[in-house]
Amino acid sequence: MERTRIAEVIESSTTRFTAGAYELLVAPPFGALVRAQTRVEGMAVYGLVYEIRTGSKEPGGRAVVRGRTYTGREFYDAEIYHEHPDLAEVLQTEFSAVTVGFVANEQVYQYLPPHPPPVHYSVYECDRDELVRFSMACDFFRAVLFAHQIPSDELLAAMIRSAARARTDSRAYLVHAGREVASLLKDDYDRLTALLRRIRPL
Amino acid sequence: MALNLTTLSQQVRQMSGALVHSAEDMVVRTPQVRERYLRESGAEAQWTRAVDLSRETAAWLLARPVEPLHTTRLAPICPPAYALVATDGSQIDVDRHGNAYCYLINIGRVYMRYGPQATACLTSQPALYYQEDDLYLTDGTRRVAIEGNYLSARRDAEEGIALAALADEFLGDDLPALAMQDGTLIRWTLSGAEKFVQEHFLGLYLSYLEHMRQRGIPVVSYISRPRSPEVVGTIRLMYCPDVDLHEGRGARCNECSDVRAGRAPSCRICQGLVDTDVLADRLTEGQRGPIFVSMSRINVERYGPHLIHFFYLRVGRELARVEMPRWVAQDAAQVDLVHSLVYDQCIKGQGYPVALARAHEQAIVRSSDRRAFQRMIEGSLQRTELPTTSSRKQESKEFTRG
Repeated sequence: MERTRIAEVIESSTTRFTAGAYELLVAPPFGALVRAQTRVEGMAVYGLVYEIRTGSKEPGGRAVVRGRTYTGREFYDAEIYHEHPDLAEVLQTEFSAVTVGFVANEQVYQYLPPHPPPVHYSVYECDRDELVRFSMACDFFRAVLFAHQIPSDELLAAMIRSAARARTDSRAYLVHAGREVASLLKDDYDRLTALLRRIRPL
Repeated sequence: MALNLTTLSQQVRQMSGALVHSAEDMVVRTPQVRERYLRESGAEAQWTRAVDLSRETAAWLLARPVEPLHTTRLAPICPPAYALVATDGSQIDVDRHGNAYCYLINIGRVYMRYGPQATACLTSQPALYYQEDDLYLTDGTRRVAIEGNYLSARRDAEEGIALAALADEFLGDDLPALAMQDGTLIRWTLSGAEKFVQEHFLGLYLSYLEHMRQRGIPVVSYISRPRSPEVVGTIRLMYCPDVDLHEGRGARCNECSDVRAGRAPSCRICQGLVDTDVLADRLTEGQRGPIFVSMSRINVERYGPHLIHFFYLRVGRELARVEMPRWVAQDAAQVDLVHSLVYDQCIKGQGYPVALARAHEQAIVRSSDRRAFQRMIEGSLQRTELPTTSSRKQESKEFTRG
């Protein structure tokens, strides 16, 4: 069954895309696999969420503190949003995803798609089955580990943990993924051990 | 260099010096004037009559007291749930040197509901006007271009119409409700306009107020840091040697007896003071002062049942002026509601009503938008293969020629 869309693409390039969430403060978690629709029927682009941010819709705008009025009333956390229903209209939650592959005609590819997802097209959070299916292969590990200006090790670790959680045999997946990471980082012991500590089976 | 800042800075320093001097003088006069004002508390009937007698002949703006002069009211407790609508507008005026003869009005529209089902809807609605009927008003013989002040008058009317539409769309009978505008409800810009122009715009505006009256939704406008001297005008009458109620005589500034006797007018003590100077010390946080009627000519002569009343409200370090039509001002419950809701809006907006701030954000046309709009017109005209020539003057401003 098709899941409800959670966001739409507001910025797009070959290697990454950014989506604006329809609901304030509601974004898929760090490391989540998301799917962006494309103009080709049956084709969608997969991305891993590496950054989530919330701020003013206005370019250059910033939020102001609202927890204490000058008459001395105090508001905490969700109370502030309840007291100011307009905030949902002027603030926006966005998330950026690094492109890790695509699906076309039911076939999953773990390399860059011919075109990035179009701006304003829908973004869905992938469900458990789709995550399991996508993470069968580990070819995308390399793209994530060597991507620039993203917290790549943290991102890959988060992805591996969630792909493991989605499986009945989590441990086997963690061991398999750990081996894959070890072969990719064989020249960098410190980085490898830091990453392995992050995906160690509990 | 286009603006010679070195030369300018000398003038700015001189101005600061002059302002310091006049501020010292006002500090001395303000308490005297305030004391005089309060001494007349209880004699409102007398000053109401003096205002009515002086309305035509005084050189000053006047305000007629509706409540005792010493009135101060704390903001009533705000209802736990309420709804309000607000609008604000901005425009791009006709550019005589541009490609096409047209103007744009952008109306920011805000609906907010507080309480259990809190929600908000912020939108803006641009409208382009280019037809003959939009660009000119005519009474058969004369034709007046809608630009400058008249475009502002049209925008004011459009803001009102949009507010009425918002109220119809969103406001029901289930909650206390309010309709809010920025600035004044008194259409000063029309006071010097040609009669048929005034009829046209004021007609539109008053029919919007009438619509709101029939819906029972109080309309208010909010002026931050007002500089109006209407209450001070009434205080001038207290100093005026010519006011004589027994003889039915008001102030006649053209025949001032002080001036005739070679003296400075007695009301000179009020020179430069505004209402907020006099009332500032009286009001603590959230308190409002007495309600007055603005005696400006257009209000008294044209507004009828919508005669604009106002009070001052303490919000943080400033006094704000809140205006409302007579049908709101004469209903004590409505005045209390307006007082509490406007003040609550100010608290939420940290000193300025949040609904108006949001409406402004929606309405504003930035210089980048302005340029994009001009380019859009150019592009569209080119596609239709119409000539797109700007004036020589416009071209000469594009860049500095070497």
